This record gives sequence, C-alpha cells and structure tokens, in this order.
Amino acid sequence: MKRLYPITLSRALSRALSSSSSTSSSAQSTAFPLKHVTKGNFESALAELRRHVAAADFVAIDLEMSGVTSAPWRESFEFDRSDVRYLKVKDSAEKFAVVQFGVCPFRWDSSKLSFIAHPHNFYVFPRQEVPIDGPSYEFLWQTTSIEFLAKYQFDFNACIREGISYLSRGQEEEALRRLSMAYEDELSDTWCNLKEVRDIPINRMADVLFSERVKNTFSEWRDGLLRDRNGGSQLQLNSNDSKQQFQTVFFKMRPALSLAGFTSHQFRLIQMVINKHFKDLSFVRANGDDLCSQHLVVYTESKDDRGMLMKEVKDENCRVAEMKIQAAIGFRHVIDLLSAEKKLIVGHNCFLDIAHVYSKFVGPLPSAAEEFVSSVNKYFPHIVDTKILLNANHVLQQRMKKSSTSLSSAFALLCPQIAVSSKSTGLTFQQCVQVEVQVDDMRSSNWNSGAKHEAGYDAFMTGCIFVQACSYLGIDFKLHSPSENLAHNEKLCKHVNHLYLSWINGDIIDLSTGNKVAELFGTNYFKKKYLNILFENIVLIWGFPSKLKAREIRECVSKVFGPTSVTSVYHLDETAVFVQFSKPEFVSDFLLLKETLEKSDGPISVLHPLAKLLEGGNTHAGNYETYKEICSSPISKVLFANQAEAVGSKRKREAMEPKIAVESKEHSSFWEENAVNNSTKSSEKSKQGKVHNAKKDMLGGNYEIIDSLYAAEVNQIRTNNL
Amino acid sequence: MAPLPQVLQRRFLCQKTHTTNKWKTVKQVTKSNFADTLSDLKTHIAESDFIAVSLQRTGAVSAPWHRVLPFDTPDTAYSKSRHAADRFQLLQFAVCPFSITSASKLRAHPYNFHLFPRDELKIGMPSYSFSCQTSYLTTMAKEGFDFNACIYDGISYLSRAQESAARVRIGNPTPIPHVVKSSSKPSVADAVFIERIKSRVKYWRNACKDTSSKTDEALVRSLRKLVLGSEEHGSRPCINIDVCSERQVQLVLEMLEDFSDDLVPLIIPGKGGATQEVRVILTSSKEDKVLFQKELQNIEEEQNKKVRGFREVIDLISASQKPVVSHNSLNDFTFIHSKFLAPLPPNFDEFMCTLRLVFPHVLDIQQLMKEIGPLRKVSNIPTAISYLKDHFFAPIDMEILHEDTVNEGKIHGHNVLSISHLFAKLCSILKIAPIQSDNKNLVPALEKYANILTPCSLSPQESTDEDIRVWTNNTRKVNCEHLAFLWGFKRGMTAGMLKSLLQGSHDVFSKEFDVRLVDKSCAIVVFWKPGLSETFMDLINSKEICGSLGEMVLEGLRAARYGTYKKVCRLGILEADLARSLDKALEEPDCLWQGDSETNPLEVYWYSDSIINFDDL
Repeated sequence: MKRLYPITLSRALSRALSSSSSTSSSAQSTAFPLKHVTKGNFESALAELRRHVAAADFVAIDLEMSGVTSAPWRESFEFDRSDVRYLKVKDSAEKFAVVQFGVCPFRWDSSKLSFIAHPHNFYVFPRQEVPIDGPSYEFLWQTTSIEFLAKYQFDFNACIREGISYLSRGQEEEALRRLSMAYEDELSDTWCNLKEVRDIPINRMADVLFSERVKNTFSEWRDGLLRDRNGGSQLQLNSNDSKQQFQTVFFKMRPALSLAGFTSHQFRLIQMVINKHFKDLSFVRANGDDLCSQHLVVYTESKDDRGMLMKEVKDENCRVAEMKIQAAIGFRHVIDLLSAEKKLIVGHNCFLDIAHVYSKFVGPLPSAAEEFVSSVNKYFPHIVDTKILLNANHVLQQRMKKSSTSLSSAFALLCPQIAVSSKSTGLTFQQCVQVEVQVDDMRSSNWNSGAKHEAGYDAFMTGCIFVQACSYLGIDFKLHSPSENLAHNEKLCKHVNHLYLSWINGDIIDLSTGNKVAELFGTNYFKKKYLNILFENIVLIWGFPSKLKAREIRECVSKVFGPTSVTSVYHLDETAVFVQFSKPEFVSDFLLLKETLEKSDGPISVLHPLAKLLEGGNTHAGNYETYKEICSSPISKVLFANQAEAVGSKRKREAMEPKIAVESKEHSSFWEENAVNNSTKSSEKSKQGKVHNAKKDMLGGNYEIIDSLYAAEVNQIRTNNL
Repeated sequence: MAPLPQVLQRRFLCQKTHTTNKWKTVKQVTKSNFADTLSDLKTHIAESDFIAVSLQRTGAVSAPWHRVLPFDTPDTAYSKSRHAADRFQLLQFAVCPFSITSASKLRAHPYNFHLFPRDELKIGMPSYSFSCQTSYLTTMAKEGFDFNACIYDGISYLSRAQESAARVRIGNPTPIPHVVKSSSKPSVADAVFIERIKSRVKYWRNACKDTSSKTDEALVRSLRKLVLGSEEHGSRPCINIDVCSERQVQLVLEMLEDFSDDLVPLIIPGKGGATQEVRVILTSSKEDKVLFQKELQNIEEEQNKKVRGFREVIDLISASQKPVVSHNSLNDFTFIHSKFLAPLPPNFDEFMCTLRLVFPHVLDIQQLMKEIGPLRKVSNIPTAISYLKDHFFAPIDMEILHEDTVNEGKIHGHNVLSISHLFAKLCSILKIAPIQSDNKNLVPALEKYANILTPCSLSPQESTDEDIRVWTNNTRKVNCEHLAFLWGFKRGMTAGMLKSLLQGSHDVFSKEFDVRLVDKSCAIVVFWKPGLSETFMDLINSKEICGSLGEMVLEGLRAARYGTYKKVCRLGILEADLARSLDKALEEPDCLWQGDSETNPLEVYWYSDSIINFDDL
C-alpha cells in the first residue's frame, strides 16, 4: 500500500529534506522539481522548448536507457578494436530503449552575466501507435540497469503509462509509404473491395436471417427517402432496437444511415448486402478526427455521385491516417528541433547516446562507424563531449586528477555551489560562471533538484560542467556575442565533434572526418599504460574445459609455440580467451594445428600439449576477424561460447572445410616435423628471449592477465557513473 | 509525514468496502509477505486436489506466424514456445490450489506472486537481461499493473540449475549429512596421508582441550595458534585441512568419523566447484555438537530461502505431485522449465521427459474444451465461460478461502480463478468427477487429457474414434510431405488469388490442391494427391520451367518443403516474415540432425477453413 506513490512521496521527502538541510547551511540552494514531460503535457512543453532552444547558446542532453550491454562479453574491453567497439555500441543502441531523455537549453544572459538553464526531463516509451510492417516493438531490459534506475527512484509507471512515443524518420517514411500504397490499392479497386466481400459465404442460419433483416431495413429507409423527397412522410424505423443501431444523419451533404453496435462480421454482411442489392447505396467506413471509425450507409444519386463520395471518403481517411502518423512522431519533434536549429549539442561521454538518438529517431544504424559518423555529422553538425574537454586541458586535468571524470564527480568539483554533495569547502575551486535555472515561472541561481541520474538533471549537470570547462579554456562569455556560434569559437573548435569511441583505451573519433584522433594533451596524466595490442596477432579460443585458467592456457600454448610466443592472455568471459602471440604467423599456425589435431584420432593428438585445451571436443578458435563477425551478430547469448556456437555454426562449416580438405593430408605429417622443429627452435629462442622477456616484465603491462570478472565489474561501475 | 499514509490507508479501506467482489480476493504476494504466505500455501496445496497456474509474461510472439499454428508438429510448436520462453520474463505467477467437492462446489485459494529477476546474490543470475514487447507492457499498464511495485517488491528466484551453479560461486561451507564408506582399499599413499592428517588433528584437538594453556599469555597463545594452524569458526576452534582430490576428502571424512564424535567436518568449496579444504570444528560436548549442527542447518535454510526465492513455490507444487491445470500449457511450461528448472532442452521429447519428472500430471484446459465442439477454437477463457453458461446448465458454486484478506484493491491474477472455474464447469458438463482418491494417480476419466501440451498434437488419445468424429468436420489429416511453402509472390495477394493464379500455371496444379496464407509474405500449399508435391518441388528447382509458373519463378516465387520450415523453427530463425526465415534457412548448409526428424510424426492437421484468422491478430 505504501508503495502506491513511492516515487512522488520519496522524491518529495528527499526534496524537502535536501532543501531544509541546504537552507540551514549557507548554500541557499533552492529545490523545485525540474520540468517533467509526459504524454499529457508534451504539446505545451514542446512549444516552450522551441522558444528556449531557438534562443539557446547550446543544448545539453543526457539519456537514461533500459540497459547498456546485452551480454557480459559485449561490455567494453581494452582489446576492442575501434570497429569492434562500434559494433558493440551499435548492438546496445539497437537492443535497448531510451526511457528518459534530458534536454537542457542554456542561454547566456548578458544583463545578468549568467547562463539561464531550462532543464527538461522527458519520459519516453516506444509505443506502437501506427501500423508498420515488421516485427512488433521489442526491447531489452538489463536487470542491473533496472536495479540501478530503481535505486535512483526512477518512475517506471510514468515511463510505461505516460511516456512519449516516437517514430524515427525511417519509420515515418515507411508508414507513409504503406499508407499511400493502401490508398492506391483502394482507388484501383472498383468501388469497394468486392472480391474480398465475396469470400465469405453465407451458410449460417443466423447470417441469412441477419442479411435479410438489414436488407429490408435499408430498402425501407431508401424508399422512405425517395418518398420524403416527393413530399412523403418521415421515415419510421419499425423497432426500438433498430433505432439505436440505425440513425439517419447527413454525411458529406448526403443522407446516410449511421450504423452502430454491430460486430465486424455483421459489418461485412451489411457491406455484402449493400453491394449486392442496392445500386444507389454505398457502405462507407469513415475515420473521424477523433480517431474512431464510423460505419455508414450513404445514399448517392448516381454512379458519378457515388464515385465522388468514395473518393472524398478515401481522401478524408487518408488525411486522418496522415495526421495519426504526424501525431505518432511524438518525441522525435524534439530531436528534429535540435537538428534544425543546428545548435551546439553537449553531452558527457556521449557516443552511445548519439548512437541511441540515431537509431531511435533517424534510422537503422549503419554497419560501419565511418558511415555512421558522417550521417550523424549531417544531422548534428556540432557536438561537444565534456569528458573530452575535461581530459584535454592541463588546468582542468590538474583539478581533476584525483577524481574520476564521471559526470557527478566532475560536477561536484567544478560546480561546488550547485552540487550539494560536495560539502567540503576546502576545495578552493571557484565557480567562474553563474548558472541560473528556470523551470516554468520559478527561477533560482542555486538550484538543486536532488535527483541525480535523472536524465533532465544529468543534462543540466553536463551543461554546467561545459560552461565551467569553457571558462578554463579561456572563453569569456562576457565577450561572447549572442549571434556567434559557440561551436566556432577558436578555443573550443578543436574539441568540437571529438567523441570517445572507447573510454577504456582512449579511442577518440572525429565526427566531422570519421578519423581516429590522438588525445590532445595530458595523456601522461590520465592515460595509464594502454596495452599495446596487435590485433593480427590475436587468436580467440572458446569452449575449452571450464576449469582451465588463463595461466594454464598460456602454458599449454607456449609448450607448442615456444615460451616467448604468447605475449598475453585475456579472459573475455569464463568461456573464452584472447591469446596474443608475438608474431602474426602463429595465429594461422595455431588454427591449422588445432584443426589437424581434431582430425587425427591417434595417440599423437592425445599426448599433444594442446590436448588439454582441446579436451571435451568443444574447443573452437578463430582470429580477430571471427571475433568481429561474432560481435556483429544480432544474437546475444550470455556466454561467449554459446554465442559463437549460435553465430558461427554456418561460417565454420563454409570457411574451414574446403581448405582443410586440401591441406589435411600433407599437414598431418607436417606437424610432427614441425613440432620437433618448433621445440628446438623455441629452445633457441627462449635463450634470447629470456633477457628480453625479463626486461619487458619489468616494464610491466605486457604479461597482464585480466580477470574478466574484475574487468566487468570496473566496467559496470564506469557505465553507471556516466 | 505520519498522517499521509493514514489518509491513503483510509482511502483504500473505503475503496475496498465499495468494490469488494470475489475477483478481488486473490492474495497478492510480494517480497514482504512471501515468507508468511509460503506456509499457508503449503497447507492449501496439501488440502487441494488440483493446482491451477497462470502466468503474466513480458511478451509472447514477435510476429503472427511465431505463434503455434495448426500445421505445427509438436517439435516445431515446442521450438516456437522455447524461443519465447528464452527471451521474455515472467512478472506475475498466479497459483490457485483448488478442489471440486461433490455438489459442484469449487473451493479455491488463489495467490498471485509478483516476480522480478533481481540479482540478489550479485552473481548475474537469474537473468542478465530480458526482452519486453511494448504492446504487452502497454496493455499491462492499462490494466493498472504497478511496474514500480513489481521492480521494487517483486520476489526473485533461481532455477534449480542456477542454484547449483550459485552454490559453487558463493562457496559457502557445506555440512556433510553422513559418510558412506568407500569400498576401495586405501593405497600406500592414502595410508600415509591419513596418518599425517590424523596426527595433526589429534595434536590440535589435544591442544584445544588442554585447559592449562588457557593461562598462557597472548604471545604464546598466538604462537601456538600459528604452529597448530588452529582457527576459529564462530566461537568454536577449528582447523583447516587442505585436500587435493575428492578421494582425499573421502579419506579425511572417514578418518574423522572413527576418530572422535566431538568433531564436525565442513566442506569448503573452491572456485571451480571442487572441494578446496575440509574444515574440522571442535565442539565442547555432545549437546554442543547437536546445537552446532542445528545452527548449520538454520544457516543453510536461510541461505536456501534467499537463493531459491519464488522457486520454493514451484518446488512445493512439484513435491505435492498434484495435477497442474493450465490454459496454455505449452507456453506456460516452457516458461516454467526455463525460469525455474533448467535451460530448455533442444527437442520436445527431452522437454517432456524432464517436465514429467517434476510435474507428473499437466492438464491443459483446452484439451477438455475440445470435447465441446464449438469451443474447439475458442482461445479466450471468458468467452468459453460465457458460452458454457449459455448452452449448459452447470452452476459452480465458488468459495474462495482466505483467512486474512489483506487486499489492496488490486485485481491481478484473477485469471487463475477463471481457469479453475472453467475447469470445474467442464468437468461437470463432461460428467467427470474430479475428486482425487489419492495423490499419486489422476482420476481415470481425466487421464486421457493429461500431459498433452501441444494444441494440435497427435497423441495416441486423439486417434480414438471419438476424437476423430469431433475433428473431421473441418480438419483433415495431411502428411507433412504433401505440404509446400510458397513465397516471393506479390504482396497483398489473398489465398484465393494465389490459388487461381497457380491453377492455370502448370499441370501439377490440375489435381486437387489448397492454398492458405501463413502470413502476408508466405503461403502453404497442400497437394491432396500423393507425390505431386515432390513433382512440384523438382519442377520449381529445375531450370526449364515454362508457362506462367515459370514467369512467377522469374518474378521471385520460391518454394520449400516442410523440412525447411522445421529447420527454421529448430534453428530459431524466427524473422518477422516467414518468407525471410525460409530464405535464411535455405542459405544454411544442411544440418547434421537430419536423422531425428524422420522418427517424428509427420502428420499435421489441415483446417478446411482459413488457417489464420486475421481478425485474431
């Protein structure tokens, strides 16, 4: 029972608490809720937002999603090449829904020397409001994400019941195309769909009786009409019952009977009776403006008149359907607005956000990052990532180095007056630029809604960080003229359109060129040793006996290819590892050797050092391209081995078999020699290698074995903090 | 702060008095009252003859053809259900133990459990992620479903398979019920090992029992501890013995059994699931030992509750061995299997095997409905009830028994009451006296309906004379070999148009055949004359087809046998359009499992009326 209003109550309480506590302290921050927008107030909020965005210098955005990764191995890892990283982002954006969208326009008020922010928090939910071909709307929830949202008291009821729906540009086009096709089909059919009607045979007694009864009613009504015109008396329908079902009305200037209270089957019978027996009556289904359809039987004077009527009705229906599609665009109006105004968009670590925006509101995500990036650039010409800014500037980095660049900690550090959480006044980090918040009629210069991880508030925080970061970059807003686009500011423009493709390995992509960019400064501050990963040296192994640890796998492989052959082993998850060899040739050697061992059944394959790895017969391997291919699949199994099985069954059979058929014979003898050769070679090598190796060890980082669970955990924290 | 809840409460109470009716007496169970409810449910299950279940999912089918269709074999139907059960989640599980007494009296105890797959143990279980259909969520929202309550207060669970995996992951010490002596003789190495451990334990035990050492000063005590390897388990002293194999575990346990009766061994599992060490705990007396063992038991039960969560209910139902009544049993039990037992097996037979071990009698209400002709195709419970009400005199007096009707004005989970109600009505009409004489066996009259999960399955029962009479008025049995799937024709074509097009296109279509649309993209053709489907397939795959059929092929018409459809289902290539799925399946190289498909029943039913009623969609 007490759960009925959990959000509103607790939010109100927390707000009350926070406001009371903060008023008692000298911070004087005022708390009023930010603007929540749902279905009910969307129209009015949109009109207002149009005004704010048009006047804004930049717009900060933030998204809350129903999840981030569809499987543990789809999380972001250090050994993700940028194209793989994009595939993972693509998978996430395609599978999960946006449940909240924060939009916060910021406008510089030169009279007050402060920014005015208008935080909006939109609840979004993808409801299927117009028929579109294709599968039903589905999306994934990640349980940890739901729990995360629940922790911050996300209102799931508001989202699902009241959330604003949307159509992407692609969906809108599809719906319109479908509509025009239906329209043409209907026009090309003579009169009504006679064929379809003929399909139902009348064989049930009830149907026969019903048809006869309505036939009588219609002919009576028509005769009455004709009499009426000749000066006769008013039509009297015979029973009370039919009075409710048939009502004489005027439709498009013609007399008509409005039909109500029939089943769809009965309507079909009526339509058939009309077509069969009445040349001067037409059955019409009109979709009114109120979106409910009306069934009518209309009297027409001639064949031409009838044709005209049908065309009118169809045009009308088409118009109504178009309006319905227009209405279904819903939240996309906000995105279109941002795009049309060409304002500077500010996000925090926002590559995934942008991918979501693209897939939900523009169209299906392209399969390659370059293509994606160039389309995004057309749609949003200027995007700034605050995480890039924070890591790009020396002064900022010195401030930030002790804390993470996550949204909330950056906010607490850069905007201490606003952030309640940073009580420590010891940080003498002065906020240089004032930010005032306006929600409807309420204004405050020290606003705090107390609702962290609410998209609207997060967008507000992002904007505040951006403003402070700009001032550290040396941008003086006092000198800034409202006509000038902030994105073209010379101090900022080198950071514009740079986004972190992957935060973990510091991959930055330039949206305007599609190129990868090196981090500007301060890599020494933040960038720890990023591992030197050579993707062509990597072999991916999965499905091996579960008890094998990374160390054992390494030993196994080293026994065959020599002690220095393996530079590192990473766990992707408990069922898969990456083994990085010192040379790219080892990859193909390994794959061939594995294939051969599996073919031969003799003692050699049992005693072979790799036998331990191949035990159980489910061990598979592939190169880095295999990994990419598996990542690109729309399937998502929790364990990588299962995923690879689901995706790879086809590829493996196609790709491997012909090659092996040719090579296997010579190879089975070849490998024995090779094994001998290898061992001697490797022993030689190991002598040289040891010294070299020891050095490398001391330098560190090269022999790192990442525990997948640990990595996943870190990643979880990371994504949560964004 | 205080007055507000009171006001709310008062409002609720008012509401309740105004709108109380029998549908609202379904007991709603969440995390907070789960533990208390469980014992009530246990007694109710024990007192009742049947248990009705009904589930609320987050989605069912992504496209019309994904639902189980009349021409599905049990295997394809199972594959479709499995596809849904793997992806979607359960949010509510209604359970209703009920009995039907002689005077058409239904005694029911309905419960509605709210579920949420919360990761209580932080181990990525029970579910990493799950899919939702927005139409389902929207409908639930319209019915007043409280998603916040579900997410905040829903009961979590682990399946049986997940539980055993979780035990390994958590790595809690587990007590050993009793040691079974191994028959094999100890080797020399074993003997050495035993002696070594024995002396160590002996020395440690003596040192612990030695009261004189109590007076030692702290440094000496800690040194002694270090030397002996003695630690503390709670307040009791213990010693950890490292072991290398399960064999050694066995040896240690045997040794301890003989050694002294004040020692309690615990097994500490390692990360990989194997035993890492054996912890031996010294108890001070016989009473203390009993006390300690009780403590261990409590801890374990506590742990179990946390781990199993809602699955306790499933275990209770299973343990009772009572017949389970459901409305759409294939869908329900694929979900139950995948969420509460184990991941779903690849084929239907295996599924039925494991399911029958857990639930020996599953009664699908639709099997009973088939007996009453017009109800054959009714898939909705209220319609069925109102039909029976109009056509038969079978009043059922429903009595709902809840000692404490702590209801919050919610009306969820009443479906389960409708199921028990409909079941009682059907039994009364069909003159079945559903009074269980004993727990193990089903009433003989009900036996022929039990454990038929697929709506159109060809179980032996159906081939009796009686059943065929029911079915022959509009269905015909047809061998799968006589079926072919057609796609790649112009969109918007009706079955009739397609049939007339085909009729003149080639000689193959000169004999009797039928066409039905499966979805907008694909049609199914039945050749009533044996052998013609082969001719047709050969024809369409050959290069020289002429005439209008040839033109249609040029325009993109494709065809496949029923086997391709089976492959689509088995591999789970469930695209939005069946045509696309069939295309994909044809691209896949032929699979290795050709063998098992031969043994399956190859006959399906052909409905003489349209296969899919598009009004239902």
